[in-house]
Amino acid sequence: MPYGWVGTVLRIDLTNGRIVREPLNMDWARQFLGGRGLGTKYLYEEIDPRCDPLGPDNKVIFATGPLTGTYAPTGGRYMVLCKSPLTDAIACSNSGGYWGPELKFAGYDMVILEGKAPKPVYIWVYNDHVEIRDASHVWGKDTAHTEDILRSETDPQARVAGIGPAGENLCRVACVINDKGRAAGRSGVGAAMGAKNVKAIVVRGTGAVPVADPVAFSRLVMESLEIINQSPVTAHALRGLGTASTVGFTNSVGILPTRNFQQGQFEQAQPISGQALAQTMLVRNKGCYSCPIGCARVTEIRGPAKWQGKGEGPEYETIFGLGSDCGVGDLAAVLYANYLCNLWAMDTISAGGTIATAMELAEKGYIPPEDLADLPFELKFGNPDAVIGCLELMAFRKGKLGNLLAEGGYRLAEYYGHPELFMGVKKQDFAAYDPRGAKGMGLGYATSNRGACHLRGYTMSVEWFAPPNQRLDPFSIEGKAQAQKTFQDKAACEDSSGICTFTTFALTPDKLCALYNAATGEDLDLEAWNLAGERIWNLERMFNIRAGLGRKDDTLPPRMLKEPLTGGAVQGQVVELEPMLEEYYRVRGWDEEGRPLPETLARLGLA
Amino acid sequence: MKMIVSHPEKCVACHLCEGACSFRHENVFAPAKTRIWVTDFVEDQVYGAFTCFHCADAPCLANCPTYAIARDPQTGQVYVNDDKCIGCKMCLVACPFGVMGFHLEKHVAQNCDLCGGDPQCVKACVYGALEYAEVEALPWEERMAQLERPAVA
Repeated sequence: MPYGWVGTVLRIDLTNGRIVREPLNMDWARQFLGGRGLGTKYLYEEIDPRCDPLGPDNKVIFATGPLTGTYAPTGGRYMVLCKSPLTDAIACSNSGGYWGPELKFAGYDMVILEGKAPKPVYIWVYNDHVEIRDASHVWGKDTAHTEDILRSETDPQARVAGIGPAGENLCRVACVINDKGRAAGRSGVGAAMGAKNVKAIVVRGTGAVPVADPVAFSRLVMESLEIINQSPVTAHALRGLGTASTVGFTNSVGILPTRNFQQGQFEQAQPISGQALAQTMLVRNKGCYSCPIGCARVTEIRGPAKWQGKGEGPEYETIFGLGSDCGVGDLAAVLYANYLCNLWAMDTISAGGTIATAMELAEKGYIPPEDLADLPFELKFGNPDAVIGCLELMAFRKGKLGNLLAEGGYRLAEYYGHPELFMGVKKQDFAAYDPRGAKGMGLGYATSNRGACHLRGYTMSVEWFAPPNQRLDPFSIEGKAQAQKTFQDKAACEDSSGICTFTTFALTPDKLCALYNAATGEDLDLEAWNLAGERIWNLERMFNIRAGLGRKDDTLPPRMLKEPLTGGAVQGQVVELEPMLEEYYRVRGWDEEGRPLPETLARLGLA
Repeated sequence: MKMIVSHPEKCVACHLCEGACSFRHENVFAPAKTRIWVTDFVEDQVYGAFTCFHCADAPCLANCPTYAIARDPQTGQVYVNDDKCIGCKMCLVACPFGVMGFHLEKHVAQNCDLCGGDPQCVKACVYGALEYAEVEALPWEERMAQLERPAVA
């Protein structure tokens, strides 16, 4: 019996309803650690990267890591992998909550969805019992109603991961929502699930996750909990104010993207900051499974607001996406928009980015008046009704504009002839750090395998969030290639192991590696651990190359390269991408087109 | 007596205590085998972790047909004697708090045994929502009334 793993993959062929349980490929598990890495390996071996992401040849994989379901700090993550409908590159979206551990307790490390169901279905997994059930009665319903209904007809303690109307309508920024408020958000994985006619996977498990060395594991976990509980980032900033604690800082230095990245400071940042949230609308904190940080916010709109509601969120990225990026400084509106994204299952970053793109297109007069004529709101920055209205158009593909919004920001801007106004990379919207004020992040956005993303290589940690004397100058391009590589490989390991990347604000890679070893019984040293991260990164890159992506896609919008920022400490900065990119390819051992060299592949065991 | 005292207002519903409990007793992570339970009604903004209160008038003990449940005269702790338990689940029905567990493989009831004086759930709870403290064992109705009073944060 393997340790850390439960040893079984659940493969469901939706086209003909065939359910197969197969042993987990342990050779691959050792090489690619788990979760993100292992899921990528399965995808790489099993699908044609040039396939239509919304067609039956794409596969959607729900993968856990060996630490998922244990009490390793934040050991509650699962990942959704597929070819992305948004980027046409590899997609791997990570989510917390309770669903991932439940899948392991049910006895599965991974679920692979293949083909396409002839009609809407959901999957009911109760230990050995796996059933494909009709979902016509929940098709069209939001995630909260769906969860309530599916729990009532399966098990009141079951955990539900599924899509909302956005995924059903193949909106390219649709996500997968589990436990009503946790999202496998990015790259449109919800649309890939919707294209398979799968509404949800409902899981209940009564099994166990064993670890190889319980004594060592328990000691390591207790030590780690202590470290996390002492760290100013994890125990104070994130627990106290959530990720929204970042708003004040990024705004003060001038990298809080505002009005589609036209500015880096937002004059109404204070009302949507973490402090304001904590003082007004925060009800209580929440943690995902096994989480000693507890950054999630359970909130409720209070006071005389136009909108009412309660739910989970917002994150920092949401405050940027649905707030500052659209010029909205009304906390109640941001919360409400966040709740809608949870209910309809859309990525708050990409939904916000798409709306911001639309707003700039409209303000510059690039959208013909007849396309805006029927809208019940004015499409302009700072109008909360426009954000909320656009979310509805997008999720339900209402009208011409709704159909275009649902295609994501890049396709929208391209349709109106101004793709340069889309702020993102590989058709995926930027996250909430303006790369002109953190150039390592610029390189990270440009080279991220799943399109623009802050979590793939979070050099913010050293560019800004380190003590001043330990910082890597955020405005310099020196050393950024190496820093990105290190952070990218590190994040690949973290995601793959099944823990949350926030843990590593307190825990060093050697601790995580030790936890992995104690759980699985492997004996990786730090060098082998980092090498595994590099292997995963290169495998993702190879998937993308086979999908037709290359150097031309490792770029940034002209605004980042040519238009300097105007406010704050970062005034006058642009991203000098080309020299960083060339150095990055060298550091990675790739050719000038960004393809891994044969010797690099050989060194990583990928040849 | 010393027992696990819960402060639900500090709980974040992370279930770390459940993992710690099953790991201590079973050497695996299995919420189905835990002796402490986190209720997570996130939507209603209600959650907290609860385990055995070792009630002064323990209904589980009073209803056990085989006298398998007893109270330790020294510690005041209510415990299940595995050898006498026939797995009838009367105690699960009797417990007003739903904190009597059942071991599916051994087919016996199980409640919080305080890990022999070193409760792992308390150690794992970084939020201070669980405490190993000296409190009076109350009759169950009094305990219920105490729990129903709104928590003062």
